[in-house]
Amino acid sequence: MTRYALTVDPNVSVEVVSASLACCTLELQAALNSGSLIQVSESDTGPCVIVIAGTVTDALVPSVIELIHAYPGAKVMSFGACATSGGPYWDSPPVSKGIDQFVEVAAYVAGCPPRPDAFIQAIQELSSKRAS
Amino acid sequence: MSRSFTWHQVEPKDWRDKIGESRNAGFTFFDFLTGVDRENVEGKQMCEVVVHLAKADLSESHFISTQVLNELPSITDLIPAAQWHERECAEMFGVQFNGGNAKPLLRHENLGRPPLLKSTVLAARVLTPWPGGAEPEIKEDGRKVGNASRRRQRPPGVPENWLKP
Amino acid sequence: MKHSFIALIEDKCTSCMLCVRECPAWCISLDSHTIDVTEEGARRPRKVNVLDSFEIDYSLCMYCGVCIDVCPFDALAWDEHRALVTTNREDMLLGIEELGPSGSS
Repeated sequence: MTRYALTVDPNVSVEVVSASLACCTLELQAALNSGSLIQVSESDTGPCVIVIAGTVTDALVPSVIELIHAYPGAKVMSFGACATSGGPYWDSPPVSKGIDQFVEVAAYVAGCPPRPDAFIQAIQELSSKRAS
Repeated sequence: MSRSFTWHQVEPKDWRDKIGESRNAGFTFFDFLTGVDRENVEGKQMCEVVVHLAKADLSESHFISTQVLNELPSITDLIPAAQWHERECAEMFGVQFNGGNAKPLLRHENLGRPPLLKSTVLAARVLTPWPGGAEPEIKEDGRKVGNASRRRQRPPGVPENWLKP
Repeated sequence: MKHSFIALIEDKCTSCMLCVRECPAWCISLDSHTIDVTEEGARRPRKVNVLDSFEIDYSLCMYCGVCIDVCPFDALAWDEHRALVTTNREDMLLGIEELGPSGSS
């Protein structure tokens, strides 16, 4: 759990919690370190975003729900096709077909994997929603 | 660094001998053992089992393969590290490794067909309407024009008449 | 070229269905009908496919680019200036208008 702010607008900061489940995690790290975000002090206030990055299997669903409940009020971001709909594993029995079946999702990021700009765009969207 | 790769296709009866020979010739690094579903080979459902052995400095590699129906002697006494791979191969491709560890690796016992065989049908592919089934030559009233008389295509991985009476 | 978004150039699409059938995620759907076009001097009318709808479900798309590769008419292309972020899943199903290349609409 780390607090990041947008390089272009340091007043916009979000707490990022990532659920690292599969390959999208690596892309998420690339996005966090792309230069478009800077780490800021933990004491800043702002929304908390839980990023579900990767394939969610049915066996993992309870753990994902537990993680989300551990951060009350946090917004859930579905990062990549797997978390959104099962993606390339849409026909596979053990993979859950989208995390929106069991949690409320605030932002869906398309891609397999999503590009870093898409993640930044999603962060901007989530933080501006909080402000309005 | 240049690397050399050589392929050796052997009969199942020579499987252990060939692997032992390679190991004794200095190919001591065991990379993996896996299966490849060859489906229909001269009328038989064959699975190819492949082992990759390399010299410790990775300068030379041996790929040793054999085609089997469903059983093969285990090589775990020659290469103990192969046990995990044999269990995986057994689970995913239904190949029994005689003399090896038969304990299931990830799946519950007797849970359907081996999932990596091409003949294992994914029900979702049958039950989900395939968008590719539409035809531009079929008019709205169902009348076919042009070359629409050809058979309706089926999506890949879906056998004909599966689950149909 | 960045794998960011797959755009449709509507004019080039002939509704041949190749992309729909090759898509491993089954995320493309296409609807079309055939009309007869009579050209001057032609002996008989020519059959022309007219595209009625073209949809990519970006919640499923795995960005493999197979559809772009198989398209014989280059009607699909990577668009590096767009990334798709939505607040609900239904909005990830994009039609002809939304799929146009950026800057065109």
